[in-house]
Amino acid sequence: MNDEIRVAILGCGAITKARHLPAVLAHRGVRLEALVDLDSKRAQALAANYGLECRTLTDYRLLLGAVDAFIVALPNSLHASVTLDALRSGVHVLSEKPLAIRPEEARSCAEVAAQRNLVLAVGMNRRFQPASELFRLLLEEGRLGELRDYTGQYGGPYDWDTASGFYFSKEQAGGGVLLDYGVHVLDLLIAWFGPVVRFDYQDDDWGSGLEANALLEAQHAGPYGAVAGHLRLSRTYGLKNSLVVRGSEATAEIASADPATVILHRTLGGQPIRESLAIPGCDQAPSHSFYRQLDNFLASIRGLEKPRVDGWQALRVLELVHDCYAHRRRIPEPWAEPFEVASEVPV
Amino acid sequence: MKWAEKTIFVTGATGFIGARICERLVQAGARDIRALVHTLPRAARIARLPITLCPGDLLERSSLERAMGESQIVIHCGLAPARGIVRTTENMLQVAEARGVERFVHISTAAVHGLTPPPGTESEEARPRPSGDAYCDNKARAEKLVARFCRRGFPAVVLRPSIVYGPYSAWSTRLIADLRARRTVLIDGGRGACNTTYVDNLVDAIFLSLENDRAIGEIFFITDGERVTWGDFIRAHAAMMDPSPELREISGNDVLAHYQRQPGLLAGSFRATGEVVRSREFRKLLERIPLCERSLAMVWRWLQSRGEEEREKLRLRLGLRGSGVQNGTGHAAPSIPDPVTFATQTGTVFFRIDKARRLLGYEPRIPFSRAIGLVEQWLRFANYLPEEAA
Repeated sequence: MNDEIRVAILGCGAITKARHLPAVLAHRGVRLEALVDLDSKRAQALAANYGLECRTLTDYRLLLGAVDAFIVALPNSLHASVTLDALRSGVHVLSEKPLAIRPEEARSCAEVAAQRNLVLAVGMNRRFQPASELFRLLLEEGRLGELRDYTGQYGGPYDWDTASGFYFSKEQAGGGVLLDYGVHVLDLLIAWFGPVVRFDYQDDDWGSGLEANALLEAQHAGPYGAVAGHLRLSRTYGLKNSLVVRGSEATAEIASADPATVILHRTLGGQPIRESLAIPGCDQAPSHSFYRQLDNFLASIRGLEKPRVDGWQALRVLELVHDCYAHRRRIPEPWAEPFEVASEVPV
Repeated sequence: MKWAEKTIFVTGATGFIGARICERLVQAGARDIRALVHTLPRAARIARLPITLCPGDLLERSSLERAMGESQIVIHCGLAPARGIVRTTENMLQVAEARGVERFVHISTAAVHGLTPPPGTESEEARPRPSGDAYCDNKARAEKLVARFCRRGFPAVVLRPSIVYGPYSAWSTRLIADLRARRTVLIDGGRGACNTTYVDNLVDAIFLSLENDRAIGEIFFITDGERVTWGDFIRAHAAMMDPSPELREISGNDVLAHYQRQPGLLAGSFRATGEVVRSREFRKLLERIPLCERSLAMVWRWLQSRGEEEREKLRLRLGLRGSGVQNGTGHAAPSIPDPVTFATQTGTVFFRIDKARRLLGYEPRIPFSRAIGLVEQWLRFANYLPEEAA
């Protein structure tokens, strides 16, 4: 097919194996030209596992001009530089989150994409989950009444075994749980409730810059007025993994375990009731959020849609993360604080 | 100790003891801490610290050589499967000896005397005798190996803690889960000796062993120095819960009678098969087969989409958890503890820490009552218990 968009996937680690490659292979509007990884064996093994005839390369620069789009799934520290390289060569980019480690890098990416009239989409796949879309509709229709506050809790013992292990390197990852996982949640919260105008942030970084736990009290100002919220993120502790938003008429809950459903708690005739809301058929293939994210990216390249999360939106999330890190306080850990010093015991 | 001038290598650093050692070293002012990491995703807790994560495997000497670097101090509390304990300790000793380290602290266990230490093993003078338990016997063999190295001048110290508990310890998290599921029973009223060692008391002992030359070549029991029983330990956890679960009791003789009726080989094999199938190592191997990788991912996603309650039911059905024994009335009779739990909780020996007091100057700074309070604070923060109302 002539109108197939030619893409290359950069980085053949965990997220490509588990999400991007299956989405690309399932989509009819795209042709996979190449898999790129610094470790040639990794790219070859992935191609072989799927019986693919695409090229496997160690240097993405050989593809500049030869493909229409890149899916960038490299360690965080490389997202911005590779994205800029690609955009400057006329290649559209779907970059994994975070778009950059530093806000100024994200700004450069967004500016170059705008100047060159190219699509820059950022992989905030949660925006494409049916529950997120359903929740946006509930808000727009005012089904929760006047919004009061939200509580978000996301966490579990870390179990994301990437090929490079970059996430525990400050240089390569840029930050801990807030930058890694938090950007997903912050992106949704800002998209729904507007920018964060006040916050109080705490984490448990002991000096490496890779916090495992983060607590954020945020105040948004947006289309629904002032909304306050409490967000807790963890890489070490099992949390509820849900977002609860309270309004004057109802409380909505989105659980990570069921990204197709919004649970609505309200009263009917004075009786508390619980409704489970879902868009019919949304739990059927091809409905996976990564597929839909890719679909939005491809449609944007064709000029039919706008990227749901572009560089500017990624930038405002990164600016908040950056501000949080700049004003961080330590989470009190009384069980870990130094005890009274007994003679000769170095604590 | 001039901590800032030392390079310190910690094995088992992603475990709850090793991670606390790393934290305490950072608090003490150490600036060059090298942590051996076998499974990187498990390093989230220590990745917060300004230390160097060194990938490696206790079973691969060359990786240990790289990871140990130019360390002057080695604290070895790495865990290996029972049959690997001796080999991994030998690897560590050989690499550390070749490096000419100043001090090597070997974290052994009071269980060198078996899960139910026989009377007469209260002090370090008693010699461990094979108990039939692979973990215990191999830990005892590893101690002998350390002694052999010491005889030729290697500066090692052996510490034998017992039930090491504290924040992040599975002793507490599992106990809370078991109490919540009403799986916990007090054997003979919970009078068995628990020999608790609060993790910070153990770290104090480790630090003292590093500083004190009289420690070299010696073995020390390290406990809280209190006569804490399993009943005390279990009740202290039950008291954290609201409502506090009623604790059921079972007599040791009933448990033994139950074991005698069990088809041991079959039940044991079934349980072990479950453990193998659930293990990370097995999953990793399976994932090398593309078809299995995809199927596993599907099963995993399906499991994750179920509620915790349903997953628990599934675990029970698959025999991956000890379930209550039904009696004729339809009510669950007290759960029969598994043999390891039974053996662990029915000892009568309280280990003495006189030698550690005398030679190391060790004095448990955190008494059991305070330690349990710290554990509770952590359990609440870590979401194992609900947060207390403000």
